[in-house]
Amino acid sequence: MKLVIDHELCQGHGRCWDNAPELVEDDEAGRGVVRGDGRVPDALEGKAREAASACPERAVRLEP
Amino acid sequence: MSYSATSTDDGARRQLAYERSARPREHFARLRANGPIHRDGAESPMLLRRADVEHALRHWQEYSSDYAGVMGSEEPIIPLNVDPPLHVRYRRLLDPYFAPRKIAPLQQAVQQHTNDLIDAFIDRGSCDFSTELAVPLPCSTFLSLFGLPLDELHALVRWKDIMIRPEHVAAEGEDPHELQARTVREIYTRFQAEIEDRRAHPRDDLITYLVQAEIDGDKLTDSELRRICFLMLSAGLDTVTISLECIFAFLLDDDEARQMLVHEPGSEVNLVEELLRWETPVQTVSRITTCPVHIGGELIPAGEKLALSLASANVDPDGLPGADEVDVRRGDLRNFAFGGGPHRCLGSNLARMELRTVVRTWHDRIPEYRLAPGAELVWNSSVLRGLDHLPLVWATEASA
Repeated sequence: MKLVIDHELCQGHGRCWDNAPELVEDDEAGRGVVRGDGRVPDALEGKAREAASACPERAVRLEP
Repeated sequence: MSYSATSTDDGARRQLAYERSARPREHFARLRANGPIHRDGAESPMLLRRADVEHALRHWQEYSSDYAGVMGSEEPIIPLNVDPPLHVRYRRLLDPYFAPRKIAPLQQAVQQHTNDLIDAFIDRGSCDFSTELAVPLPCSTFLSLFGLPLDELHALVRWKDIMIRPEHVAAEGEDPHELQARTVREIYTRFQAEIEDRRAHPRDDLITYLVQAEIDGDKLTDSELRRICFLMLSAGLDTVTISLECIFAFLLDDDEARQMLVHEPGSEVNLVEELLRWETPVQTVSRITTCPVHIGGELIPAGEKLALSLASANVDPDGLPGADEVDVRRGDLRNFAFGGGPHRCLGSNLARMELRTVVRTWHDRIPEYRLAPGAELVWNSSVLRGLDHLPLVWATEASA
């Protein structure tokens, strides 16, 4: 599973890194930036789903 | 053109406004059952459905924010009343100042303010949560951000009360609109003086940051600076106040949630988020159509001012199963309490930090509390859903 953030849609609500700081960090303007290549370790799949479902702009996607 | 549930009668409208603030979930469920748009004579047509509200929040090309007249300001305030692409330039400048990494260091001061306010009444065993905590806390945060002395708190509370509900502050025989207009001029004059002061004497505060900021090599004009300051004042105070009032009023009726807060440090994070959705303290935001739009089979012409009901969208079960109950373990925590799209709340991270800090600090110090005997909750029926008074009591060592 891979976590992807669409920066066109992101408005900086910060829900993704708030819910899954292990997978997402925030940039200077408070926008979510995927850590590393975005690959989600099995143990963090729940966190990744939380990050995706919390995004009000639907900017956080999970890809197989 | 057909719109749902039209009521022009004054008594019926008062009843509707009361219901909307006292029993919002039931109220909006009833309106949604009548159709996607609620139209009530003098008010702007109101979009009720989750999908329609979400669409309007994102599509600024069709649903513009370019209207003036917010809280007595004749000039459009920035960035609230500005559309992209100019809006994007303002937000690029402002977002970093309100980003979490900038907000986190303020947490300690907010906690200190909260503790100071609680110190003043904890031994009494009672307080008016609204006037003694929910109102002064965000005001002290505002004064710190703006680099203004804390002893101006009383004056600041009066300013924001006149801006938001002049009819409550106006003396007998005084015209509330005249009072509001005069006060807004006074506020703009004061901001101008502060702007000039920071230009001459830069310090570590928001006004200095704004004065020194540049967009593509250009400094902001005095008019832009004043209108940004006015936005902070009009959007940053009452919103946090009413959110605290809504959250604590909810907790009075929910032992389970209160016990969770007391026994599970950190549980305030998801609870605050879920209660922002459930209570939606800022009930609506406005947009104006730039072209004819179709909503639920109805045609709305260009140039129509619309109210987007965040409160209704947040509890619309269509698209969010279980939306009609509070569930902190819900997988889907998306909500529109801070709006959405390009105009989503600039101060959401600051607001969340303030709300979480107050909820945590209070429950660490006053785990058991209840509504004062005989007191009744009277919700004020405006777009900002809050309580002017929330009298609470708890046992003290002296009384134990």
